[in-house]
Amino acid sequence: MTNNRLDITAMKKMGMIQQKQKDFFAMRLHVVGGDLNTEQLQRIIEVADKYGKGQVHLSTRQGLEIHNIHYTKLETARKSLEEINLKMGACGPRIRIIVACPGNDTCRWGIINTKKMAKELDEKYFRKETPHKFKLAVTGCPNNCAKATENDIGIMGGILPEWIKDECSKCNLCIYACPKNAIYKENDQYKLNEDKCIYCSICTSSCPSEAWIRKKEGYILHIGGTMGKSPRLASKLCGLIEEKPRLNILIEKAVQYYKKHGQKKERFGHMIDRIGLEEIREVLLDGV
Amino acid sequence: MEFDIKKSIDLLGVICPMNFVKTKAALAHIKPGEIIEVKLDEGESIINVPRSVKEEGHKILKVFNDGQSFRLIIQKGSDQ
Repeated sequence: MTNNRLDITAMKKMGMIQQKQKDFFAMRLHVVGGDLNTEQLQRIIEVADKYGKGQVHLSTRQGLEIHNIHYTKLETARKSLEEINLKMGACGPRIRIIVACPGNDTCRWGIINTKKMAKELDEKYFRKETPHKFKLAVTGCPNNCAKATENDIGIMGGILPEWIKDECSKCNLCIYACPKNAIYKENDQYKLNEDKCIYCSICTSSCPSEAWIRKKEGYILHIGGTMGKSPRLASKLCGLIEEKPRLNILIEKAVQYYKKHGQKKERFGHMIDRIGLEEIREVLLDGV
Repeated sequence: MEFDIKKSIDLLGVICPMNFVKTKAALAHIKPGEIIEVKLDEGESIINVPRSVKEEGHKILKVFNDGQSFRLIIQKGSDQ
């Protein structure tokens, strides 16, 4: 038996990637936000032992792959994984698995629920066709552990601080703690330069007298990040987005714009550079 | 402003989290309401130590900037 008749492109779409050893495949699993339960891990171990070479590979985007599966065993291995709700991942020109940091579930800096967001985005976008590969990441705060800015679309939690004069002990710590020098003192008043502020919450967390409070909480949307042969960090689309429906509309518009205007093999960010960030910003933000 | 400082510790060059551990140890040796002075580096230290001190229920009375380093004046919390 040979594998000449296998549709390699269709298999890639379903997360089964041919290795250089042509009869063997890597199975990329659908691991949203890097979360697996122990039942799933047990089954992965069983499948890797039985059909692979007893080894798994952790990808750079929180993914898990079982390598060295002979093509004649792929179907059986896939069914075994699907029995416990472990689906296959994706490869090729489409929307990939959503990456997420732990977020406000467990992290003290986390501002948004990244897991919930990643799940919602996954349900809406996973495996949808795009001109080139398309990656999304959700990160809980501007510490950016999930590298939102290296993704085609990156969602980041953030807060806008506000200074309450009557609470302030004038200790100046905010000025020193702010990583972006966005806080300054003028006529005995502390002020925020919002152009410099990255919405990180270090000032509100550090302030000894609760004089810096969270005025707003929300999302920061980054578009057009990519690594690969021509790396490009994502561009911040606009200021803090408070309402989730507004965020969702902006994401949808960005994806649709890319589907319409992106050229084959052209990443979202490179399309943005070709057309111009300002023009795209105007189109996306129009009426939203 | 003058402070009645019971203990002064120099944590320049001491990285996270040991700078906070040493701050905590110093606070353990004084009474509630008493004051210590802690010298810290700029960067990670000044971002993390004050926040942790605050979370443990102590009060930061003053912060001095001495160029590349900082001095925190910390008052031990009452219910410590």
